[in-house]
Amino acid sequence: MTRNRWFLLALCLAAMNLSAQTMPIDVEIGYRWTDISGNEAMYRTQINEDEGLLLRALTVASQDFRLDVSDLGIGPAGSLRLETRRDGWYRFNLRYRKAEAFSALPHVALGQHTFDRTRDVVDADLEIQRWGAIKPFIGYTWNRFEGPGTTTWHVGQDEFLLSQELSDTDRELRAGAGFELGPVQGQITQGWRSFRGRESLTLAPGANNGNNPNPVLGRPITIGELTRDERTDVDTPFTTLFLTGQATSRIRLTGNFARFAADSDTDGTDDVTGSLASFALGRFFSGIAESSTTRAKNTTWRGGARADFSFNDKLDATAGYRREHRELDGSALIRTLYLQSITFGGADPRDVEVILNATNALEREEDVLDASVSYRPLAPFSFRAGVSQSHMDVTVAPDLSEIVIDGGQGGTFDRRVRTIFLDGSYTLAGLTLGASLQRDDADNPILRTDFVDRDRYRLRAAWKAPRWFRIGVTADETRQENDRSDVAYDARLRQYTADVLVTPIEALQLRASASRFRSDSNILIRRPENFTIEESVHLEKGESIEGGLSFSWSRLTFDGDLSRFENEGSLPFELDRSRARMTFQLRESFGIGGEWAHDEYREAAFAVADYEASRYGVFLLLRR
Amino acid sequence: MASLASDERRKDGLAMKRFAYGGLLVLLLSGSSAGTVAQETPSPVPPATTAAEEAPAPTPSCSDCHDQAKHFLTNPHARGAVTNGVVSNDACATCHGDGTEHMESGGDTMKIAVPRGKAGSDETCMLCHDVATDRMTRRGMHANSNQVNCLTCHSIHSSDPRSPHLVAKPQLALCGSCHTQSASMRNKPYAHRLDRGGMTCSTCHEPHGRRAKGEQSQAIVEHLRTASSRGRMPEAPCVSCHTEKRGPFVFSHGGAEVGECTTCHESHGSSNPNQLRRATVKQVCMECHSPTSTASLGSQPPSFHNLSLPRYQNCTTCHVAVHGSNRDPQLLK
Repeated sequence: MTRNRWFLLALCLAAMNLSAQTMPIDVEIGYRWTDISGNEAMYRTQINEDEGLLLRALTVASQDFRLDVSDLGIGPAGSLRLETRRDGWYRFNLRYRKAEAFSALPHVALGQHTFDRTRDVVDADLEIQRWGAIKPFIGYTWNRFEGPGTTTWHVGQDEFLLSQELSDTDRELRAGAGFELGPVQGQITQGWRSFRGRESLTLAPGANNGNNPNPVLGRPITIGELTRDERTDVDTPFTTLFLTGQATSRIRLTGNFARFAADSDTDGTDDVTGSLASFALGRFFSGIAESSTTRAKNTTWRGGARADFSFNDKLDATAGYRREHRELDGSALIRTLYLQSITFGGADPRDVEVILNATNALEREEDVLDASVSYRPLAPFSFRAGVSQSHMDVTVAPDLSEIVIDGGQGGTFDRRVRTIFLDGSYTLAGLTLGASLQRDDADNPILRTDFVDRDRYRLRAAWKAPRWFRIGVTADETRQENDRSDVAYDARLRQYTADVLVTPIEALQLRASASRFRSDSNILIRRPENFTIEESVHLEKGESIEGGLSFSWSRLTFDGDLSRFENEGSLPFELDRSRARMTFQLRESFGIGGEWAHDEYREAAFAVADYEASRYGVFLLLRR
Repeated sequence: MASLASDERRKDGLAMKRFAYGGLLVLLLSGSSAGTVAQETPSPVPPATTAAEEAPAPTPSCSDCHDQAKHFLTNPHARGAVTNGVVSNDACATCHGDGTEHMESGGDTMKIAVPRGKAGSDETCMLCHDVATDRMTRRGMHANSNQVNCLTCHSIHSSDPRSPHLVAKPQLALCGSCHTQSASMRNKPYAHRLDRGGMTCSTCHEPHGRRAKGEQSQAIVEHLRTASSRGRMPEAPCVSCHTEKRGPFVFSHGGAEVGECTTCHESHGSSNPNQLRRATVKQVCMECHSPTSTASLGSQPPSFHNLSLPRYQNCTTCHVAVHGSNRDPQLLK
């Protein structure tokens, strides 16, 4: 919080400096309070808006400079974006984004993972424009994800809750140049990315007895102490290149290539003491000492070419080809020492060492060929149609240690998908009609939930009367299926939306929308405990109604919205949301604003998850 | 190890601070240079002139009639066309053509070009913006019809004041006005935070991109931000933020390697706290991990996984490293 305050202060000082130099500036800063009843953890998991100082917005803009800040300060998310340039010299972009991630659902069983983490991302790019046709650039990205959490570890038919500290940092440095050489333009980039992951775990307080209260073969399973540390380093050099140029006045050619090779090294240790059991060994034991050294490599490249044809201003076409190749290799050396073990019968006391030396591989190749044509015969009409074919070839070679039951984990898989699509639209005098359909046809699934046939339809109609009225309706449907008798996958998603916007007078705007969606999915599954085949059914029926108004009169503005979302089916719930915001401009350059937000969440089957949360905010508005 | 991690954190904290304050320094310096330009505004009192020195009648300016031209001073399209704090007619002429006849006719709207529709976009916006990059093209999925073209989303004269790139409205409202399905998924309780400091649609989607071709590709879906104009790596947009899920892992999850993140997750909003496509974890897992007779990728869970018992209904209670593991073949840690 202290850091945030200093940061906000520095930002405001900087903004004042800009303001003093006649650049238009718009600032909104204030404080937010929260009032939560019911399940606070659920509120934090879903919304997580906190109480404190908030720079709601800051915008400074000129021709060559733009700074936008949104919600920096108290969480859960904030961003800053800076773009500045001087023609013929440089262009500089800086982005910062912060996001807090929280998850802790009501406990129904031990093993619910939780986390309370923050992600900070900084992204900077500088392009030098001093040399006309060649524009070198350099960029840097920094991404940090860290914070505490809880997780579990399964051992000897029991699960133990662990406290987790995680700190992952990803850095990327890239440099290259954009160039324009006669009719050819392009860009080449060389980058280096490094990921450093650090994770440490200990047994959570009070979790010594695990999730399973029953003894295993008459012996209680407990852990006295547990520490686990893991360090992961991934280094990834990458190269990207594209070239594009006007081959003739009507044909443009584009080619691109990208390659990266990610190399991962991991070291880990486990130290555990307790009373434990292993069914793989058929033994009880009093502790584990484990060390592991692993390495994985992912080499991926892709290349493609495309030709765009402009026959005339009514007709154009495009055709392209792309190939991607991906190789993944992994090897692990894991040495596990089971301390003071005895057989389930109590005999043969000794330490048992198990060494796992695993190697595995995956290779994936994908080719995509496509062609499409756009035709605009008369001004209000436009049509687009196209075909494409993608072919994926995957070979998976898992290590034997990964296979518990033979089948489904290795082999060669092949899938070809053919797609045809057609879009059409009519736009004239405020009326817009649009329709699109797409049909995908595949030969084989690779995953069971892959479709063999898929159809998508979309219809949109809208009418807009200048200045005062707009109405629109949209209907979407996606249906995908695999009718093979052992899979019987059939999924359908339908959605209908209507929205209307009325502006009876310039100062008043009324809006409303209603949407309805239904998702049905059925697929056969096999229960592992008895191998019976049954249908897995997922059903959602949702209805959403929203309405709001905006009012502006003299120095006063008001915005209000109400929405209600009801979901029936596999997980029924209701969510009511209300928002109101009012501002009053005391002077041309100074005003005040107030905000109120209210959310009410109810689950039909699990009332302990319900919450009601209000947030109130007061903000100062500065503008010049 | 913990101290190593905290050292690392401290170093990165410093780096982070340097970045933040470095950015502010740039901001201050840029402000100074920008201010230099802005300070060139003419003195409110014009210099005294004698009758003999009187210049010929000044050339009419667009801003004499059009308030929009007065407010164009801070618009990026006025770059290089501001003299003494006044936007020259050249800035307007770039898109609207020579306005002499329009002026001479007393403002006849038939005598001035107003870019509209696809033709308008192609003949104005694309003359400058369809260059030196593979991401903006007049053949993009959003630039190809009268229904959707540059001017559908960008408003040169009345853009949203708090949004960059002259977009007509905040992105969520803008994209949501057509993509109602994705927009209404946001009503579900678990969704990425959009707007108000969070992500925007274009964090993941490339609005200037081409229509997606093919499917089942983790690395490339062209309407998603996989390789931006600044030459990022070809990868799914999800792992640009969720870097810890990127791997590579020794024991990877086949679903992620062969499918996409969206094989299991619903990115626009879900009823499940992990933004899964199904209400429960076991349902997501079992739909693939049920090898019946067809040869498909997805292993058979051993028979002690009794789904009727609560402790086996949340698969990730034990298989915690579901995105991939370096230490356990069964993804248990």
